[in-house]
Amino acid sequence: MDIVLQQLVNGLTLGSVYGLIAIGYTMVYGIIGMINFAHGDVYMVSSYLTAIAIALFSFFGLDSFPIIIFGTLIFTIIVTGAYGWVIERVAYRPLRNSSRLSVLISAIGMSLILQNYVQISQGARQQGIPTMLSGAIRFDIGDGFVQITYMKLFILFAAFLGMGVLTYIIQKTKLGRMCRATQQDRKMASILGINTDRVISSVFVIGAAMAALAGVLVTLDYGAFDFYVGFIIGIKAFTAAVLGGIGSLPGAMLGGVILGLSEALFAGLISSDYKDVFSFSLLVIILIFRPSGLLGKPEVEKV
Amino acid sequence: MSNTVVRKTLIALAVAGAAFTAQADVVIGVAGPHTGAYAAFGEQLWRGAEKAAMDINAKGGINGEMIKLVKADDACEPKQAVSIANRLVDSDEAVAVVGHFCSSSSIPASTIYEEAGVLMVTPASTNPALTERGLPNVFRVCGRDDQQGDVAASYIVGDLGAKRVAILHDKDTYGKGLADAMKDTMNAYGVEEVLYEGLTRGEKDFNAVVTKIRSVDADVVYFGGLHSEAGPLVRQMREQGLTATFISGDGIVSDEFVSVAGSPEYVDGVLMTFGADPTSYAAGKVVVDEFRASGIEPEGYVMYSYTAMQVVAAALDATELDPIAASDWLHENSIETVMGTKKFDDKGDLTISDYVMYEWDDKGNYTMLNN
Amino acid sequence: MSQETGINIGSSIKDTIIAGLLALIVFGPVVGVLLDGYEFIARIDDVVWIVAIVMAGRFAISVFVQTESGKKFVYRQLTKEDGVSVTAPDYKSKMRYIIPIVIVIGLIAPFIASKYVLTVVILGLIYVLLGLGLNIVVGLAGLLDLGFVGFYAIGAYGLALGYEYLGLGFWSMLPLAAIMAGVAGAVLGFPVLRMHGDYLAIVTLGFGEIIRLVLTNWTEFTHGPNGVSAPLPTLFGLEFKRRSSDGTPFHEFFGLSYDSAFKYIFIYLVLFLVVLAVLYVKHRLTRMPIGRAWEALREDEIACRSLGLNHVLVKLSAFTLGASTGGIAGVFFATYQGFVNPSSFTFFESALILAIVVLGGMGSTLGVVIAAFVLTVAPEMLREFADYRVLMFGILMVVMMIWKPRGLVRVTRKGFATRKGVMK
Repeated sequence: MDIVLQQLVNGLTLGSVYGLIAIGYTMVYGIIGMINFAHGDVYMVSSYLTAIAIALFSFFGLDSFPIIIFGTLIFTIIVTGAYGWVIERVAYRPLRNSSRLSVLISAIGMSLILQNYVQISQGARQQGIPTMLSGAIRFDIGDGFVQITYMKLFILFAAFLGMGVLTYIIQKTKLGRMCRATQQDRKMASILGINTDRVISSVFVIGAAMAALAGVLVTLDYGAFDFYVGFIIGIKAFTAAVLGGIGSLPGAMLGGVILGLSEALFAGLISSDYKDVFSFSLLVIILIFRPSGLLGKPEVEKV
Repeated sequence: MSNTVVRKTLIALAVAGAAFTAQADVVIGVAGPHTGAYAAFGEQLWRGAEKAAMDINAKGGINGEMIKLVKADDACEPKQAVSIANRLVDSDEAVAVVGHFCSSSSIPASTIYEEAGVLMVTPASTNPALTERGLPNVFRVCGRDDQQGDVAASYIVGDLGAKRVAILHDKDTYGKGLADAMKDTMNAYGVEEVLYEGLTRGEKDFNAVVTKIRSVDADVVYFGGLHSEAGPLVRQMREQGLTATFISGDGIVSDEFVSVAGSPEYVDGVLMTFGADPTSYAAGKVVVDEFRASGIEPEGYVMYSYTAMQVVAAALDATELDPIAASDWLHENSIETVMGTKKFDDKGDLTISDYVMYEWDDKGNYTMLNN
Repeated sequence: MSQETGINIGSSIKDTIIAGLLALIVFGPVVGVLLDGYEFIARIDDVVWIVAIVMAGRFAISVFVQTESGKKFVYRQLTKEDGVSVTAPDYKSKMRYIIPIVIVIGLIAPFIASKYVLTVVILGLIYVLLGLGLNIVVGLAGLLDLGFVGFYAIGAYGLALGYEYLGLGFWSMLPLAAIMAGVAGAVLGFPVLRMHGDYLAIVTLGFGEIIRLVLTNWTEFTHGPNGVSAPLPTLFGLEFKRRSSDGTPFHEFFGLSYDSAFKYIFIYLVLFLVVLAVLYVKHRLTRMPIGRAWEALREDEIACRSLGLNHVLVKLSAFTLGASTGGIAGVFFATYQGFVNPSSFTFFESALILAIVVLGGMGSTLGVVIAAFVLTVAPEMLREFADYRVLMFGILMVVMMIWKPRGLVRVTRKGFATRKGVMK
């Protein structure tokens, strides 16, 4: 019993991180219909930025946990957002009117560039950050126990807060309305006076910011990263986005949580050797029965 | 469009970086992952080999000819290893190779070196299959996974008296080979493992597996793999309140293990098997000091790579640069290196296994256990 | 839109400053603060250099696009022609002179080229096969497949495991692997028929990953990460080894001294002929009803179905044919390398093959051949850049896509004219 509960906690935190990164995929897909393969590497860059921010803060003698964590968050989100903007401007905007596959290849190239740029500038070594927040809550259940670190609680809290803020932005603000309008019909939106290029740029910035949030949280929790971490987590987050229905924000979060839980439960109860096989099989099965993902709108075939 | 300029800059930087010149006659390849996820190890190999070549050249070279090193990047991919091996023997006309790093690269590459009659000395590939195939030209100056597994198993069963052992590996040639070797020996001692699983290399979240270890109530966790996974794994074990002893192999020998684990307190008490400290040999003291003076810590495989280069140089020197004769010579003779006297058996493995158990302390240092 | 002919230095300076600031934000932290354990080393001068270069470049570009030739350049970039070019009915392609020359060169080349060049060319030809296979699925049928590497793995492991368990050699596995991969393609094809576009992409990606993970984890059968060795091809039973296990090796039979290049020359020649055959078949297919059905389905599925085209059969045939070509490529890869393990079949490999198809110009056979060579030879040429090799490769991919978003070679189609004497 305690083991299953612990696995649920593991899966939920992992899943919320997948969800945050999946948002970047799903928003970009929703608005320009491209799979942004470099997104996982944007997340990777944010891991480095987190460590850099923490190193800078401790260099300047700031070592209270709240200051560091908020300073790091703001710094990382701003710089990662700039990465999102520059990448879009450089590698994707020139291809705006080309086929979607061309942009996909450009994105794969961008992913290689980011990985190797970070490897060259920061070295290939494994990086780590010092433990910032230790300690855990322990619930005793029967013979066993469930232990949840404060950091895990913080991840859950911050992830859902981030989701909440994003939902507010998309639903209530002017920028959000412009995003939704552009998503529905880019040409019409531009006729109505929306600067669609700017909206697309801001979507990349928002996606990168969400990846940055995930990067900060994961880096604080696991403390370990290298220039290659973006790849696996990027593929998983993309899977989560498709699972939930690509283009749908709640779908991304739901897909992330489902993927995280299924991985944790399968690895914990059956075999970690085949957990990825299970995740992908689950995806295939769900897509066979719901070809547009869990919360995606079914595609209407226009004649 | 600032991007265009950035690209141009990088090209310029790259050209400048690539312009390394060395006028010499004996070409020796240094093959390893100079790019990719394991580039850190490639760097260790290169540093050791580079220093050794410089030192040997300063003393007059091999048989009077200077060593020229060629950096050969396989990124730990077998596909690239084959192509770079062909390039080394063919275009660069290398007579010997120090490398490769990953066993999965060394195995396909060794066939090509054998056909071309090129001497191959690997400082790091520990998979038994490499020398078990009976190629006459293949040597290693490191141990074998099965030797390492033996040491770990006898320590776990004998010294720790463990009954409930969980075995994890990273599903790669090295990690799995190590885990299997340790498992076989342990089973031979009559202890069955309570858990045997693989994790995915490149992931950082092992909470699910850690919880599973908790559920089987293991008192020892043996991990076959590298520090990039071992660090997060041990940290997540401690965070979930799991106090089982963590034991691994030489894949975690790096200062990075501590920083990746998040804090020295997490690595406190972690055990690992590793060759007797490569920097501890009296013969290598000068070299170690020179490394440190130039700001390089001779960690991990740096000294192994230096040793491999010395072995190559000694053999080529004794046989007047004939690599095939050099292979035969190495099977017969022992060589004085910075890591003591090395002697090879018929397969090309070292005759003496020097694996011992090390323990990490709460300061993030490791010391040899005396037993 | 302005009609001014002069150069507006003011706006250029503004652009330059913005670019400089962005470069500072983007490169500043990652380049300027080198992490060292939990501490860092500041490298301010590197950042200054990068920012200065970015600003100088931005300024140069900004001024350039305001000049006459710059405006022309931008105009050309914006008005790239789309679509297919149709040749006149009586147009005779220059290819009919070029192809025989290429074939002759291709047949002579291995005897002159060094072994290293030969291995690179073999790898290039293997990617030509892979590109041609995926081209059917993506380029012609328009089904985005991100897991093509799965079929490649089936072919490669088919040879290695078929030899180990059943004692089948290269020649028997070559057709068998094609069939196996084809069947796998058909099996994958069924569930994904309902899916569109990018859902298809992720499912195929999942399929490719599943195959790789099973190869890694099913140790009892596949030896997991340790890999399996694969046999060399034989010439009528003659082996290309220094010492043959049974019978006389090739070089002794012909009284030659042993050279390890023989086996590469042989693999090359067989592969070259197979590639030529596949090229011919693919070329014919695009003109046959099935090929036209693929392209029609890519353009408009609903129209095709309403015209009575069996879309299930058409999609499945594309998957099957594409997959079997991938399987053949896998067999060659395994025999060339003499050893296979799962790390050769990662997602990156699928992405590379896809890049070949897109860069080649989606559906163009010639384009695939050129792109395959560009993308396999480029990393080898870039070895000069040492540590910057993969970075340069990534930059090359982005630049090529921006420069030629439609691919290197445009698809041409032969025009038709009514024959004389046919009633109008």
